[in-house]
Amino acid sequence: MTPTPSTIPRLVKLPTNGPAAPVVTEPVLEEAPVVAHRQVGPDTWLLTLHAPVVAARVQPGQFAMLTLAREGETAPVLPRPMALYAWDRQAGTVDVMYRVVGDGTRVLATWRVGERMLTVGPVGRGFSLLPAATRVLLLGRGIGTCSLTALAETAAQRDIRVAAVTSARTPETIIGADFYASVGVQDVLAVHDEDGSSDVPRLRPRLAALLAEGGVDQIFVCGAERLLRLGAELGERFDAMVQVSLEAHMACGLGYCHGCSTGYAGLADEAPLVCHDGPVFQVARA
Amino acid sequence: MTRSEQPRLAVTIAPGLELANPVMPASGCFGPELGAIVDLDHLGALVTKTIFLNPRSGNPAHRVTETHGGMLNSVGIPSRGVGAFVDELLPRYAAYRPPTIVSIGGLSIEEYFDVADRLADVPHVAALELNISCPNLEAGGLEIGANPHHVERVVRGVVDRVQVPVISKLTPNVTSITDIARASEAGGAAAVTAINAIVGMAVDLRGRRTQLGNNTGGLTGPATKALALRMVWQVARAISLPVIGVGGICTAEDALEFLVVGATAVQVGTATFTRPDTMLRIISGLRAWLAREGVADVRELIGSLQTGPAGHGLAAAHGRHATLAVNDYGAGTQNTRRSGRR
Repeated sequence: MTPTPSTIPRLVKLPTNGPAAPVVTEPVLEEAPVVAHRQVGPDTWLLTLHAPVVAARVQPGQFAMLTLAREGETAPVLPRPMALYAWDRQAGTVDVMYRVVGDGTRVLATWRVGERMLTVGPVGRGFSLLPAATRVLLLGRGIGTCSLTALAETAAQRDIRVAAVTSARTPETIIGADFYASVGVQDVLAVHDEDGSSDVPRLRPRLAALLAEGGVDQIFVCGAERLLRLGAELGERFDAMVQVSLEAHMACGLGYCHGCSTGYAGLADEAPLVCHDGPVFQVARA
Repeated sequence: MTRSEQPRLAVTIAPGLELANPVMPASGCFGPELGAIVDLDHLGALVTKTIFLNPRSGNPAHRVTETHGGMLNSVGIPSRGVGAFVDELLPRYAAYRPPTIVSIGGLSIEEYFDVADRLADVPHVAALELNISCPNLEAGGLEIGANPHHVERVVRGVVDRVQVPVISKLTPNVTSITDIARASEAGGAAAVTAINAIVGMAVDLRGRRTQLGNNTGGLTGPATKALALRMVWQVARAISLPVIGVGGICTAEDALEFLVVGATAVQVGTATFTRPDTMLRIISGLRAWLAREGVADVRELIGSLQTGPAGHGLAAAHGRHATLAVNDYGAGTQNTRRSGRR
């Protein structure tokens, strides 16, 4: 989701220390063999890379830069920032779920098992789960849900009660509903535009009713501005911290090219960078 | 050269500034952050992002987009200003072995002088590279580097203020790049870098919008190599200073082509985004290419271009005419390799 100043709540960087600071790990460059690659839905693919150091270090909300140009080729020129959908630290693998939407992902879909992909990761400052959190809400739309799945798994492993909305245009393009169920998410709300269940006016009372009992400590959003606005609204109502993962066009992924400005007015200095200061930001509390 | 000897890669880009090898990053496409994943001690030099006098916020998003064979950027050179650079950023460069070339900019001629004054006695500044592609706000926003008189003034003023070599980075967005190169030489530059990014544009057809927040941006990447080679060749013939070639270099062969047309060293920019270890690949590729060709010293290649009717140099070297067997572009590379073997 690309932020625009007028339509989204004011966002600020996550703190660098204290309970709300995300765990940040150092990136590494790995030549990662593709160990599995299959289509899982309309234009949607699941890529598994053997990148043991990335897998060992990654935290929910961090991402990887994938070089899609094959050895000896120069296109696509820019690597693509990709959310890590899930990982297996023991097997040393990371999963990337993506939708074919442009030149880069069209090339990505042609990568075959056994080919080695330059992978830089984990990069960025991901989500932070408060130590005291007992219940969290995830709001994901489309492929943006892929930034939230690993967080759900981590939260569930910590016995945090998780409710997850996964929203899409059509029932066929809903992402992550099975994954959520498999990692122990208590309440999975799979909603879509065809039956109108994804409309915020219908979603709002459902979530309010769900959260009425027990409340919610943190809300995590990715993939749609309207979900961010809904998250911010619920955050205010339930006194919950709201975090959102942003995306941007990106060249280096490490902070030196300054290509991925969040673009929204911040301080007098340069606006925060998605790759280095994010991709996860929090909604400023009023 | 015996089989066991390594080819010599060291080059001198300015008086007193010898590099272990001719490969360095292009300004703006590099930062010490890259050191987290790539061993920067192997590079010929480090080059900073352009430093201005005061903090700058840079341009609005989107700042980068991909194009056919390249990318456009309108990052707008956000800068924390020269003070924060000296205090906080420069030490991170100085932690590495290669010399640091500091790129400086200004939105007026005086600003270059102010930044130069501030850097004049700062340790770990091996050279200054003048980014003269900045808009001159006192002259209607035209690039300072488009006006030979302004270029000569900027270069001379900076040269007068600092002890270290001054390198002038030429913009390609001019009618005659050789005029700008000569102005740089007249101003006392120790070397020139060619070329900066070419101003370009990309359109989102469906939205009838430009793809960049600043509408136009700098085109870089493989698509620019042919243009950059031509300009480096022209500049190298027009002046007697070392030329640092930059534009679309992705491989050791690309780098060598720039040396052959007259560059003494090269900068790598966009290709580092494609593959973060590109510069290290180029350095090891240079070593391997020179060893394979029996070239003991990379400097033998600088300006070694044979000009003349296309292809006939090859035919002469082989004592035959080009045949139908050589029926693909790029095949000449192999023939050149054979003819170059001693």
